[in-house]
Amino acid sequence: MRTTDGAADSRQPLISIKNVSLSYGNFKALTDVSVDFFQGELVGLVGDNGAGKTTLIRIISGINPPTSGEVYFDGEKITKFHPKKAMDLGLECIQQSIGICDNLSVGRNYFLGREPVKRVLGLPFLDKKKIREASAKVVHDFGLRDTVDVDDEIALLSGGEKQTFKIARAVTFRNRVIIMDEPTNHLSVRERAHVNELAVQLKQQGLLVIYITHDIFQIHRIADRIVIMENGRKVTDVPRDAMSADALEGIIRDGGRAPSKGPKVA
Amino acid sequence: MNPSIRSSVRRHPEGITIGLVILISVAFAVITQGGWLSIGNLQSISQVTAVLAIMAFGEAMVIATGEIDISVGSVSGIGALTFLGLAPVVGSGLALLAAIVCGVFIGALNGVFVALLGLPSLLVTLGTLFLFQGIGYAVTSGFSFAATDAVRQEFIYNTVGGGYIAGVNVAAIWALIVLVVLQLIVFETPIGNRILAVGGDAGSSFSRGVSVTKIKFGVYVVSGALAAFAGVLDAAFIGYADGSFGATMELSAIAAAVLGGCHLTGGRISLLGTLFGAFMLRGIQSFLILLAVEPQWYILVVGLIVVLASVADRALTRFAIKH
Repeated sequence: MRTTDGAADSRQPLISIKNVSLSYGNFKALTDVSVDFFQGELVGLVGDNGAGKTTLIRIISGINPPTSGEVYFDGEKITKFHPKKAMDLGLECIQQSIGICDNLSVGRNYFLGREPVKRVLGLPFLDKKKIREASAKVVHDFGLRDTVDVDDEIALLSGGEKQTFKIARAVTFRNRVIIMDEPTNHLSVRERAHVNELAVQLKQQGLLVIYITHDIFQIHRIADRIVIMENGRKVTDVPRDAMSADALEGIIRDGGRAPSKGPKVA
Repeated sequence: MNPSIRSSVRRHPEGITIGLVILISVAFAVITQGGWLSIGNLQSISQVTAVLAIMAFGEAMVIATGEIDISVGSVSGIGALTFLGLAPVVGSGLALLAAIVCGVFIGALNGVFVALLGLPSLLVTLGTLFLFQGIGYAVTSGFSFAATDAVRQEFIYNTVGGGYIAGVNVAAIWALIVLVVLQLIVFETPIGNRILAVGGDAGSSFSRGVSVTKIKFGVYVVSGALAAFAGVLDAAFIGYADGSFGATMELSAIAAAVLGGCHLTGGRISLLGTLFGAFMLRGIQSFLILLAVEPQWYILVVGLIVVLASVADRALTRFAIKH
């Protein structure tokens, strides 16, 4: 098992970001970011709005290619950025604002992009029975209302239920990496605690969990390592034990500069 | 409100259209004292409905992805002209193939601009609507192409619109075949699931690994091919075509799809509803003809119906989707 000695790890990282930048026209969303992520660790990716956290995970999950720099997965350089490729490599991402098509049923959303098929005369038809049964099991295992019909449109679910659905989908299809972008939004206090427990469990099962949040105190309790971003740059990358949550919060508050006040580095 | 009623409205948007079709059929039959419902008139309606429906099915596929294709009228014209122009020279088999290839090509052209370059589909297909209508007029330059007697004897010519089965033009059979095939593709296959997903939320679909570009490109190709095929079916039925062939058909095709319960915002379509939408429009047209109303009024009526349909559609959607 990996200990919390963080960035000094000598093993090969599962995901390695090297000097990645991303610009939209003149706007630099990411500037020269390098960071490694290892199997079996829970990394908190923290920063203020516009820090570049979501942009970074959009690159990792294949939605946007970087303008410059390189991304390695398990030592292999990624040349084609596409969400399908990321999913095939075993990466599931719980995006904050996307990931669900309101017009499709719960079951069809669950399997979107990896629909199970049964062959009829050699032609691929949807295996509707499997879609219904597998998604119903997951939905109910994750505690959604019993009245949720997986054949009904997902638009009928509440915001919290949709979020739970996204987490359930990512967790059941988990393979090697789970990225959670503000996973506790829309959730109740009890559901939040559940999601955080889940993140720890997934890590203990050997997955890499990248957990994006504003809440440094919440993530400091569960993460092995904290990466802080500010203005599209990585400003801090420390093992959890190296700094207190208060000190880390100071860094975020001071816009990425070393804390001028507040508690000393632990 | 009863959730099961909501659920049925949601899952079967074509129900209302089918009900309306039955209502107006009865009304038309009564008003025309049976004339509208005569075998001869129904046979005639079935041919024009079938041609319109095949175009509207292609339109519905594009609408499913949240885009629009207003070039289908011109594409059907190009299909008709290619077919009738080449059939006397190379035979109706190769002429059919050439017509479909033209449709696929125009569809692919639309697809490149919309799917690959991300341009607004309304503008792109408005451009190709004019472009290929212009080409149609230029090629015929005031004349028309007609099927020769030899061509009319050919098996393929009769299979694709020239012939009849039990008094019904073969176009009706083709419409049913296209309906069944597309129904299976859209609602029973992974590709169909992704087509609807792209129309529902393109960004979310992409994040789940769906290639939005390929899906959108694909539906434009299908729409182009079907519009060209509809043009062939109609050309073989009529036996001649000039540069104006297919003009304004795009409006009826879009209207049929919308009447049938296809949402222009994408993600929700009904192909069966689209068939009934096409039947309703053609039934109304036939009714007006029987009443000896000037044909120009048909366009006005179509416009009126589409406006009313959009209002009713929004009300129904709100009823069906809201908690």
